[in-house]
Amino acid sequence: MRVDFVDLKARYEEEKKELNECINRVLAKGNLVLSKEVDELETDICNYTGSRYCVGLNSGTDALMIALWANGIGKGDEVIIPSISFFATVGAVVHVGATPRFCDVNADMNIDVEYAENLITDKTKAIMPVHWAGRTANMSKIKDLAKRHTLLVVEDSAQSMGGRYNGQHPGTFGIAGAISCHPLKNLNGLGDGGLLLTSTDEIYQKAKRYRNHGMVQRDKAEIFGINSRLDTINAEVIKFRLRGLDKVISKRNENVRLYRELLNIDEITFPVSACGSDIDTQVMFIVRAKHRDALKEYLKSKEIEALVYYGTPLHLHEATINLGDGPGSLPTSENICSEVLALPHNQTLTSDQINFVCSEIKNFYKR
Amino acid sequence: MKVHYNYLPQEFAETSAIFDEWRILIESSDFTLGFYVEEFEKEFAKFAGVKHCVATNNGTDALILALKSIGVGTNDEVITVTNSFYATAGAIVAVGAIPVLVDCDDRFQICPKAIQSAITKKTKAILPVHWGGASPAIETILELASTYNLEIIEDACMGIGGSVGGKHPGSFGRVSAFSMHPLKSLNVMGDGGMVVTNDSDLNDWMRKYRNHGMISRDTIEFWGVNMRLQPLQAIVAKQRLQVLDETISKRNRNAKYLDENLSKLSKYVQLPNRIDTNVETFALYMGLFENRDRLKKFLKENNVEVKIHYPKPLHIQPAAQKSCIMGEKLTNSEYQAERLLTLPVHQYLDIQHMKYVCETIFAFYGYEDG
Repeated sequence: MRVDFVDLKARYEEEKKELNECINRVLAKGNLVLSKEVDELETDICNYTGSRYCVGLNSGTDALMIALWANGIGKGDEVIIPSISFFATVGAVVHVGATPRFCDVNADMNIDVEYAENLITDKTKAIMPVHWAGRTANMSKIKDLAKRHTLLVVEDSAQSMGGRYNGQHPGTFGIAGAISCHPLKNLNGLGDGGLLLTSTDEIYQKAKRYRNHGMVQRDKAEIFGINSRLDTINAEVIKFRLRGLDKVISKRNENVRLYRELLNIDEITFPVSACGSDIDTQVMFIVRAKHRDALKEYLKSKEIEALVYYGTPLHLHEATINLGDGPGSLPTSENICSEVLALPHNQTLTSDQINFVCSEIKNFYKR
Repeated sequence: MKVHYNYLPQEFAETSAIFDEWRILIESSDFTLGFYVEEFEKEFAKFAGVKHCVATNNGTDALILALKSIGVGTNDEVITVTNSFYATAGAIVAVGAIPVLVDCDDRFQICPKAIQSAITKKTKAILPVHWGGASPAIETILELASTYNLEIIEDACMGIGGSVGGKHPGSFGRVSAFSMHPLKSLNVMGDGGMVVTNDSDLNDWMRKYRNHGMISRDTIEFWGVNMRLQPLQAIVAKQRLQVLDETISKRNRNAKYLDENLSKLSKYVQLPNRIDTNVETFALYMGLFENRDRLKKFLKENNVEVKIHYPKPLHIQPAAQKSCIMGEKLTNSEYQAERLLTLPVHQYLDIQHMKYVCETIFAFYGYEDG
């Protein structure tokens, strides 16, 4: 049996008809830039997440970057981020000219709020928690910290679309949240896409103008902006897929439950939510595994594709090493990175496939 | 007769060829860079006669990427032209630099003399724009750059498919940007753009910056962002590239007809000089017209859709007051802004349409064509 890490093709087979209809609908109108479809998606996202405002953008990275920019974060400012995330978390901070300060994580792989408090300086402008793999960070503690030190909270909710934390949607706790609709996310387009959530009119207006050259109208620009428009075709596809999102997430949670039940062995441990996270989006199913690299190779020999997300914490990359305190400075992050393995996981995975993966993992440890 | 400005409904009326390739892409699920983007990059580099092409999410990102690649940043001055689209100045501001807005000439192109008088110790680069799909005096600008040791980044967003003495716009500077917005000569179904260069180091750097700075999935060399062209759009671009020469030649046919006939109205209409050795893309067919606003209204009443690019030059925009340095004398651009009109010449219009446009304009000025 072959088990791929993701299988977008299987999903396409399920959605073929609807996707073609989406594309046809858009092309028939001939309006391909910031059309009605984008407005409609933004409204749907607000309704779904409970966010006051939503702005459709070109990518999750742009959503982070514009969230920072709209909050006036730039040169000379520091932004606290966890050391476990995708590169874009750092890239967005660096692109606006600010300096990332790397923070250790808890066993839930999310930002360690106590540690973050020690990183605060006069220059700290914002804290940017990442809801890694779709498990919401401890937003109660983060909001409390931010309040005590008057920091802005910008949430990297790239992987959190459809999640819940004490009933509230991730990305709506701080002043702004960034969501990615990259093809490997639960709510995905046929290419790149991103959404910025915000509760304030000021950030909304700024982001909306910034994504479209700063234009107030065709002949007037209040500021000079950039082009970060979500395209119409993807807006229509994402709008369609939003209707099936809850089902996708509940299927993914079912798969994770089965995985956990079957992998009841000492060598494998699971990250646990540190807080009352109601719904994890389970964008990835990441476990901590003893002899991780050997296990990965063994699984590969059985045609099971497992991936390391990621082997190096952000503060130890060559591009960042000068910004932090080097190896040993963020021990939990470093330990986690040496053990993490993401198992094949998506909503089209069958229980037979999960059974097969788990029995091979057990076989590996029995040897 | 109706003469529309927007041609997208015709352009994408027949999409089965695009759909066929989209289906293959969607089934392959290769949505991040990959085969189609690489193929398009190779084909465009060949088309433009340059070594490297890096496809981006749009023309603005292409300009930002180009500026960043040569190290333009905080407080550097970049000289550009005041009659351009917002993105020209926006890209400079986005990297932290300061646009220095200078005047244009009678051909609506950046004026080399104005560039020269705007050069200071802080000037890092010149960013000439191929405005409307015509080209500025690029050789003179290259000489200036070499005299003052400045970089050149060409904004060739409207220049795809054109020619300057046999060379493609954007092939002169160290690094140049193009746009594939739906209303450009090479267009996609949304946004798209690219950067070209002959410099392998810049090419390398831009490829990484466009994709988070990644060398591989697990290793980054520096921190970048996401400026990737979508494979869906790369498929459209590849197909449109096949018919680009035909598109440009139809636009030129229409423009030539307008040139010949509107030049009879020299009392009321001023057309830019055409340079024999250049091929314009006619992304915008612009002229200066007496009583512009009334003419515009008259054309609209007679079903001819026209535009103004733009009623205000960049230096008059509120955005510029906070972020730009203004050149000494910006009178040409201001004079033109009062009189500019862009007429439709796109590839889905034929000589009959052009004839109708001319007749309508003749009627407005009371001119009887003998």
